[in-house]
Amino acid sequence: MIGFVLRRLVQLVPVVLIASIGVWAMLYAVPGGPIAGLVGENATQEQIAAVTAQYGLDRPVVVQYLDWLRRAAFGDLGISIYGREPVLDLIGQRLPATLHLAVSATVVALALGIPVGVASAIYPGSWIDRILSAWSALALGVPTFWLGILLILWFAVDLRWLPAVSGYVPIWEDPIASIRNLLLPAITLGVYVSGILARFLRASLVSELRADYVRTARAKGLPERQVVGIHIMRNALLPFITIVGLMMASFIGGAVVTEAVFTYPGLGRLLIQAIGTRDYPLIQGCIVVILVLYVAINLAVDVLYAYVDPRIDYG
Amino acid sequence: MNRALNSTYWLLSGLMSRVASAAALFFLLTLVSAALLVDVLPIDPFAQRLVDALKGPSATNWFGTDELGRDIFARVVYGARTSLSTAGAAVIIAAALGIPIGLVAGFFGGWRDTVLMRFIDVLLALPAILFAMALIAVLGRSQMAAVIAVGITGIPNFARITRARVLSLRKRDFVTAVEAFGGSSGYNMFRTILPNSWSPILVQVVVLCSVAILLEAALAFLGVGVAPPTPSWGEMLRTGKSYLYEAPYYAVLPGVVLTFTILSFDVIGRALATLLEDRHDASGAEIERTTP
Repeated sequence: MIGFVLRRLVQLVPVVLIASIGVWAMLYAVPGGPIAGLVGENATQEQIAAVTAQYGLDRPVVVQYLDWLRRAAFGDLGISIYGREPVLDLIGQRLPATLHLAVSATVVALALGIPVGVASAIYPGSWIDRILSAWSALALGVPTFWLGILLILWFAVDLRWLPAVSGYVPIWEDPIASIRNLLLPAITLGVYVSGILARFLRASLVSELRADYVRTARAKGLPERQVVGIHIMRNALLPFITIVGLMMASFIGGAVVTEAVFTYPGLGRLLIQAIGTRDYPLIQGCIVVILVLYVAINLAVDVLYAYVDPRIDYG
Repeated sequence: MNRALNSTYWLLSGLMSRVASAAALFFLLTLVSAALLVDVLPIDPFAQRLVDALKGPSATNWFGTDELGRDIFARVVYGARTSLSTAGAAVIIAAALGIPIGLVAGFFGGWRDTVLMRFIDVLLALPAILFAMALIAVLGRSQMAAVIAVGITGIPNFARITRARVLSLRKRDFVTAVEAFGGSSGYNMFRTILPNSWSPILVQVVVLCSVAILLEAALAFLGVGVAPPTPSWGEMLRTGKSYLYEAPYYAVLPGVVLTFTILSFDVIGRALATLLEDRHDASGAEIERTTP
């Protein structure tokens, strides 16, 4: 198992390297760096040159990249050109908000997705199955930003129950305020994913229902609840773990749109701002952190998978 | 040619025999004709009448007016052109690059497979929306940039579907027979395997259309899509969001059309998958969605 984890960690290195080189190359491919916006319109050539040199942007691209890489290897992602703060600090301020949203959206997605998936798998072809599959199609088709707008209209503008703009409140400081702020974004993000989860769980359950061991369990007279609840779920949930892991991982960077709807201060919005101002170190840092988290969550899922399923041998 | 016509007829009649896919087809046909005919229709998406700004839906303005007094219905119809053309071009780019990648990776295997699929993995590791945004930051904000960004994020879908199909056909007799008779690899890939892989690819084209429309709208919503004043659905939702209190219909109605469009493509994609699966083994016709 340790060998497997180490191998996966090593595999992570080329992916992050390729991605960081790709981002770096892309950012340098076009003129109009961050300096122009920084010095203002009336700056002289000398001033521009001085500021450029101050940030080390006058050196060859390859040298800049290698310099960045050497520091990054020791956990230093550089200084944000606009924020004048270490990139790692800026990301560190936003990361808890993003994790709060990711976890609560996962809770919503599971709470909606599992019952829908199980119900429609147990009664395939019935009216309940049809309603539920229409619902999961709807959950997938409705754009998250539009759903978010509808929720704001309903719960914030009409009923005035919840805030239209969601701030970040740590759950351990003020649980009620935290949940009030997170509820709408979490539903917005969670509903979409619950559609995927329900569909996946249904497919995986339906194929398990036909398996021989299910017939055996029924033949020996086990009550249906035990057949479905214990025998089938244990097998059907295995691939499900992978999907849930992928979803959580995609919430880290992929919640940009939801964050924008609710002006929630997460990692995605930090990245949008960084792209807007072409703040190279910040863009690079955000993308690398998102990638590393993405791969780390997937790795954790694989390890969990091996733990839950004794048949898997990772040697 | 006759065979192609027959299959098209067979697919269309299959789609029309189901209520949901027939409705979806009808909706999309209406939308496409509206997008094509928008110049000759008696509507003007650009005419501003500031005195009529933010008026609710009425007989003259079915969807109401926006903050500059422009007719929202006209802008939604025009937005269909923006949205459909961007998505269509993006899917063509994704297919043109993704299908050959999948063919080569699946056909030759070995180092080509490893290198190409690692590249696909990197594309997959980054959320599509972030990748598209970073690309647009570099290319500048334009319809072309949106097409390229959305197109590239669709490459993995085509590459993986095609590769899976190639792997299942690679050792079949009709493929090895062509090899035995001295057919070149190129001939085998494009003339033997590809014609037998259209079912899953067709399903993927339709499904990816819905994904592309969603992604294009999301980019516009974030303010990095097609630049104003060209109407686009995402941009309308973005602006409409600032007027939730004064004009709630502004953000709601364009969203209804956007949602129906996405759902229509999705319904047709699923119906196609079932139809083709019933006719012959369309293995690999799994449906993948990766969206914001």
